[in-house]
Amino acid sequence: MIRKNRLAGSALGVAVLAGGAVYMSQARADRPAGTATGLMAANVAQEGGYLPDPNRQYPERVLWGDEHVHTGWSVDAGLAGARLTPEDAVRFARGEMVKSNTGQDARLQRPLDWIAVTDHSDAMGTVGELTGGNPEMMADPTVKRWHDMMGQGVAQATAATLELVRAQATRKMPKVLMDEKWVASAWQKTVDIMEKYNEPGKFTAFISYEWTSNALTGENLHRNVIFRGNADTTRSLTPLTTWATGDPASLWAWLANYQKTTGGQVLAIPHNGNLSNGRMFEEQQYDGRPLTREWVEARARWEPLYELYQFKGLGESHPSLSPTDEFAGGELWDTGNLAGLTKKPSMYKTEYWREALKSGMRLQGSFGTNPFKYGAAAGTDTHTGLSASEESNFWGKLKSSEPSADRWDHLFQKEQSYVRRDWTLTAAGQMGVWAIANTREAIWDAMKRRETYATTGPRITLRFYGGYDFGTADTNADRIVSAGYAKGVPMGGDLKAARGRQVPTFLIAAMKDPMGANLDRAQIVKGWVDSAGKAHEAIFNVLWSDPAKRKLSGGKLPAVGDTVDLATATYKNSIGSAQLVGSFKDPNFDPRQRAFYYVRVLEIPTPRWTAYDAVRYKVKIGPEVPMKHQERAASSPIWYNPA
Amino acid sequence: MGSRRLNVRGLAREPLLHFLAIGLALFLLYGHVSPGDSDSHRIVISQSQLDDMVRQYQSTWTRSPTSAETRRLIDAYVHDEIVYREGLSMGLDKDDDVIKRRIRQKYELIAEEDKRSEPTEADLAAYLKEHPAQFIRPAIVTFDQVYFDPAITSPEAVSAIKAALQKGANPAILGQPSMLPRHIVNGEIDLVARDFGDDFGKQVAKAPVGVWVGPLISGVGVHLVRVSARAPPDLPPLSQIRASVEREWESDRRSRSSLDDYRKARAGYDIVIKAKVP
Repeated sequence: MIRKNRLAGSALGVAVLAGGAVYMSQARADRPAGTATGLMAANVAQEGGYLPDPNRQYPERVLWGDEHVHTGWSVDAGLAGARLTPEDAVRFARGEMVKSNTGQDARLQRPLDWIAVTDHSDAMGTVGELTGGNPEMMADPTVKRWHDMMGQGVAQATAATLELVRAQATRKMPKVLMDEKWVASAWQKTVDIMEKYNEPGKFTAFISYEWTSNALTGENLHRNVIFRGNADTTRSLTPLTTWATGDPASLWAWLANYQKTTGGQVLAIPHNGNLSNGRMFEEQQYDGRPLTREWVEARARWEPLYELYQFKGLGESHPSLSPTDEFAGGELWDTGNLAGLTKKPSMYKTEYWREALKSGMRLQGSFGTNPFKYGAAAGTDTHTGLSASEESNFWGKLKSSEPSADRWDHLFQKEQSYVRRDWTLTAAGQMGVWAIANTREAIWDAMKRRETYATTGPRITLRFYGGYDFGTADTNADRIVSAGYAKGVPMGGDLKAARGRQVPTFLIAAMKDPMGANLDRAQIVKGWVDSAGKAHEAIFNVLWSDPAKRKLSGGKLPAVGDTVDLATATYKNSIGSAQLVGSFKDPNFDPRQRAFYYVRVLEIPTPRWTAYDAVRYKVKIGPEVPMKHQERAASSPIWYNPA
Repeated sequence: MGSRRLNVRGLAREPLLHFLAIGLALFLLYGHVSPGDSDSHRIVISQSQLDDMVRQYQSTWTRSPTSAETRRLIDAYVHDEIVYREGLSMGLDKDDDVIKRRIRQKYELIAEEDKRSEPTEADLAAYLKEHPAQFIRPAIVTFDQVYFDPAITSPEAVSAIKAALQKGANPAILGQPSMLPRHIVNGEIDLVARDFGDDFGKQVAKAPVGVWVGPLISGVGVHLVRVSARAPPDLPPLSQIRASVEREWESDRRSRSSLDDYRKARAGYDIVIKAKVP
């Protein structure tokens, strides 16, 4: 069931319309009349009514955001000259104009729905704590009382902190504490800012930070820590640093302790395995001891998502691991670790998401739990406070890569065996979340159940369901969502074991970014573990534009074409499809094998940020620099679990 | 390693520099709190310093450190302190961009602190009056749309469907299926623009109410549209948007005051440039 839609860009729309054939097959009686879907989750109504639909169980509108944003309050960003604060970052994400770190006016073409500002916990902020016993402060009876309470165990200390928070909120802070030596820590200020800008139903500002372990020599084991709750369960804590140890198990212990003592909920999102020199998905503990059941369960519990796409390269897969994947090759940062120490080819295997998804299922065979059951997340990892992943509006990774004529050629880092320049930065990192409301709780819950997908920037709408009971009519774009939820599981879910000769069907629906490029194709990426415990992968082209002309040959498709004009940094939507809607049944399904399936959608070729720079600044950019690419979206997988 | 200037990021990740920066902060803080510690080869851990370490641990782990953990906190502190002092005696704190920038970062973070004056009702009313555009609520629109993929649909077919709709045909079963909602209830016009494209949003914002219009072109295809209700953009009274106005007032004040702070500080310095500036 391939629905083929070929749509020209708006300028061409009417002209193409004139030459089209009549096609009205959808006006059929087999679809329910009056399927009403509202634009906003909060305003969904049954047809004819204006009250929210009380029966609606599923998310209607994808919420776009960035789970990885640094500001000038991150020590490295600040040292690199960033001055923007978390408040600036949130205002920018909400669509406000802000002055960039280089003094330029910066604004998003389209605001985000949510943001997680994740400044590094190490060296965050200033003095941090109320100091104890200082006579100057103890002269104030309120401060003295708080000080004494802080010495009387956790409950009293928490009560004192809450009083302090309240005093600050109601502007009844003792004068002595308002002396700038004793200001609230950067963390508390960050929490306050997020509280101020978080508007349930309209914009979500998460309370979050980054735990930044570089192991011993720059092996990137970073995690973004995202809280579900509000200031009451977060403001009084101190984010975990890596001063004592860079062992991720220490973070998991901290997260467990947080949940136990506050009742709040929290998750962690690892990223940049590509800069970990083999350590992100290594199959041993941090100190080299073998994996244990406890370790496997902790990782699975705290880390539901992995950040695939961001400014420092794509982490989905690598050509050496996925030689049959034609699209594994672009935007890779695969020459060293975070400190530039050279990477050996043997390290790729434990650095990339898809390989980890495969390894995780193999480890599940030994431990009963899959430690790498990662859904898809994306974030920019900007260190400017500006979450801008649009190619035509790319604000760079650091202050030094904010827009300028020669930024493409700036030195990013002199690695041991590679001189990395800023043109290698990838303008990537938008995350789509299928949440039932734009609130911290709803978005966090969707992250936790992995109903998420990653894109390199474009706002491609993507739905994906797996189930055993779908019929042909369910492949209709109008029905796919209600059928998907009624009869199957969405992205991030688990399929039960097949009974008898059952084979699962997957429903796929992708729609182009309404302000962006048409779609080339939708693929299913499958990974599985055979009876000998060996992992495999396969890529299926399932839906594509112009199927009358583009025929599969040996599983491969002819290229979609290329309408990019580098002289003007433009493209035309005269190729590709507006929507790709259809289904997939795995021809090699084996009910005894663990497997995962995810969708990847590719756009037609478009100009890369370097091409926009070349035109905007009229500069000649070196021949080594890629100027166009095919942007993409990848869904969280659906896992198949045999009996 | 690259040259020092170019590799600030690499340096920023150096644990030694973290020690130096943190140590410097601690030194500045405790230097005046505990004047008795000034002997450069004597490290005294006072009760209040230990209390601080313990409290820091408690606020991270929500429990007190064990005795062994407390020893480790002290050891780590002593280690930092010794290496830090050795480094200072070598003059490693001089002319270091990283330390300078770290101090600037901390200085600005402290200056960030709101001066804690509360806006009066008059302040907010004045701000709202001066910046109405920031607070206007977008138009709210309810409409039906029937989608066509122009690549497979003729304009004649669209016209025929439009005629049928004008005679009362059910829009929910006409046109072609798409991932866009067919019926939008009380949608904010800016969200309509985000889901259908900016041009479409503009057209829906001014389409006549109660009749089928189109074809309108969106970012995804062409549409016949009937707007059934539309509330114009409006500026709510202050009482309804007090929190937003206060937030914007504070933000505005903050950005102006941090500039003022620098100007004031700069006024106290003589800047003498003896170098030849090209």
